[in-house]
Amino acid sequence: MAALHRPALPAPRTFGRRVSGRTMLVGAALLAVTAATLQVNQFSRATSASYTIDTLAQERALKQAQNHELEGEVARLASLGRVEWDARARLGLVPAQRTVYLTVNQPVPQGQSLPLRYQQQAAAPSAAGKAAGHPPFWKRLLKLIPFF
Amino acid sequence: MFGLRGRMNVRLASLAGIFALAGLMLVARVAYIQLVNDAQYKAEANNEHYGQQVVRAPRGAILDRNGYPLATTVDAYDVYINRADWKGDAAAQKGAALIAPAIGQQPADLIAAVRQQPTGLYLAYSGLAFDKGTALEQTNAPGLRLAQTTVRSYPEGDLASNLLGFVGRDHTGLTGIEHDFDKELGGVPGTIYFERDSIGNRLSLGSERVGQKPQPGGNIRLTIDRYIQRLVENELDAQIAKTGARGGTIIVMDPRTGAILAMASRPTFKLTQLNLSNPDQALFRNRAVTDVYEPGSVFKLITTSAAIDLGLVTPNSTYNDTGTALVNGVAIHNWDFSANGITSVAQILKKSLNTGAVWMSGLIGPDRFYQYAQRFGFGQATGVGLGGEPSGLLHTNHDANWSPVDLATSSYGQGIAATPLQVITAVSAIVNGGKLMRPYVVEQQDTPRGSRWTQPHVVRQAITAETAAQVADMMHQVIDAPEDSLARIAGWQAGGKTGTTTRVTLPGEGISDGTIASFVGFAPLRNPQMVMLIKLDYANDQLGGIVAAPVFHDLAPSILNYLGIRPDNPAQVSSAP
Repeated sequence: MAALHRPALPAPRTFGRRVSGRTMLVGAALLAVTAATLQVNQFSRATSASYTIDTLAQERALKQAQNHELEGEVARLASLGRVEWDARARLGLVPAQRTVYLTVNQPVPQGQSLPLRYQQQAAAPSAAGKAAGHPPFWKRLLKLIPFF
Repeated sequence: MFGLRGRMNVRLASLAGIFALAGLMLVARVAYIQLVNDAQYKAEANNEHYGQQVVRAPRGAILDRNGYPLATTVDAYDVYINRADWKGDAAAQKGAALIAPAIGQQPADLIAAVRQQPTGLYLAYSGLAFDKGTALEQTNAPGLRLAQTTVRSYPEGDLASNLLGFVGRDHTGLTGIEHDFDKELGGVPGTIYFERDSIGNRLSLGSERVGQKPQPGGNIRLTIDRYIQRLVENELDAQIAKTGARGGTIIVMDPRTGAILAMASRPTFKLTQLNLSNPDQALFRNRAVTDVYEPGSVFKLITTSAAIDLGLVTPNSTYNDTGTALVNGVAIHNWDFSANGITSVAQILKKSLNTGAVWMSGLIGPDRFYQYAQRFGFGQATGVGLGGEPSGLLHTNHDANWSPVDLATSSYGQGIAATPLQVITAVSAIVNGGKLMRPYVVEQQDTPRGSRWTQPHVVRQAITAETAAQVADMMHQVIDAPEDSLARIAGWQAGGKTGTTTRVTLPGEGISDGTIASFVGFAPLRNPQMVMLIKLDYANDQLGGIVAAPVFHDLAPSILNYLGIRPDNPAQVSSAP
């Protein structure tokens, strides 16, 4: 029998040292601790943020309430009863006995300022007027239908 | 075949099988609970674990036509005291010394009230002002519990009480605009879920989440002008006090649009000192809209309008006034029992002659007379959008028990029942070129989808513009021609008509007969911008021309000045130096 000369196969290539079971265990433990720390940290931050949000929400509610109270005070001070009382008691004014009409070449003075939430209401008519001039698209579509 | 070993294996296998089956059943049950029917169990668990609290939405404001708030909502506190914390004398005295002054009570009285029951919360004060509540909270008084709430505030005081109405303790509108527009003003309540313990008490450190955010109510802007409303109410109160009237109503309307600028009724209630247990619930009615009366001679304007519109008469047409009109054997006299001879249509209105109105109604005939009455809106609600508005009473020739006498009396406003709002709307049609407008009080409503605006609405052309102009001119003669007219106003040309009716007591009304004196006027004569109805209710005999007309004389110039309407008389206007 002829003997074939075959070179020996190279040993399988290894990448570094084999990782021992203990090392893997320690790595897993470290990973777990890191993950747990991260989660705790995240949870703590979320709780802290939630507390901050709650505090700010309470603060906002307080400011809103104070704002409403001030608006109410403005409205009370601007009321006709209060204005008349001031006119009579502080300024000593009395109702006019005789009226004289004068034509003046001056624009009409601006009205008294209102609290913001009422001012928005007062400013709305012009916008509504514009809206009244432009009907919604479905009405415009309907108008395209003959005899509709 | 089976030995001892075989029997043991069978037993063990059976036991293992039972355990396996039990395990499987448990797994199946857990799967059913957690996978199949999880939503229901989750909801049940949440219901058990979380309590639910309804959060009231902030109520919208009611504004006048210039945006000034007539009713608005401000934050406040309800002050409670935990009775258990006041069991000890020292704690009670310390708490009462801190709390009682803030709520306007004596400490001893507060302690006595709290100790009437041993446990629970005692509501010491409802609606404490926000700043006072905040200051009280800082004191850390023993037993103090503060609950945030809102209260309705009325910056203009008791202005327009009947019209605005009020809300109950639960902030639901009970009368007036507050009731009629409760949905728009009230908004949508929200919900808050909170953790609670096994007996339902809220956990102090438990979590809380918002289920649904409350949607604030929208504002309602009225056509009412607070300045004109105040003028009207002051004048009404003064005239009632001066003449001893039982009550009255004044309405001011813009005839071009139907917008109500002022609406006041007496008797009324005080919004700022509201007493819901007041047995006289009639105080809360908006009588300008809900109560009917016989318009009396003011209705002669309708009769005259119909006769002219049909071409039956002109302002110069005449009839012979003998002082009595006989209808089906019933004698009808003038209010002053006068006989005026040959009299024109214009003089019928000027002298307010019943016989003249009867004469015109005879020319018109019942069918056309009632058609015109209906064209002016009598016998039907105006559609103003306020609750409790009746249609009035118009007894026509198509109704049972009608007789020609009814036509005759209706021609001068007797036997017809209408609300003050119906009457002023009809007269506004005359001074507005014959166009009957639908009256309205709400100009704008805020909704989550934006604002809704009320557009002026022409109900119908009641009479022609020519007829309307002729009748308006005759109304001008009514208050301009007589030297002693108490309604004439300096500076502007105006028109008007008086009315006086005998009040008939209805069964169960509980008040004696008397008279209703009224006056309806407008100004300026050309391009009228204001119509005013004054109606005063008396227990004795009074005349509209004597007691109601002066109110127009006093009020109209102030209103016209405020509206910036230049006087007709140029002598009164001069240029600034």
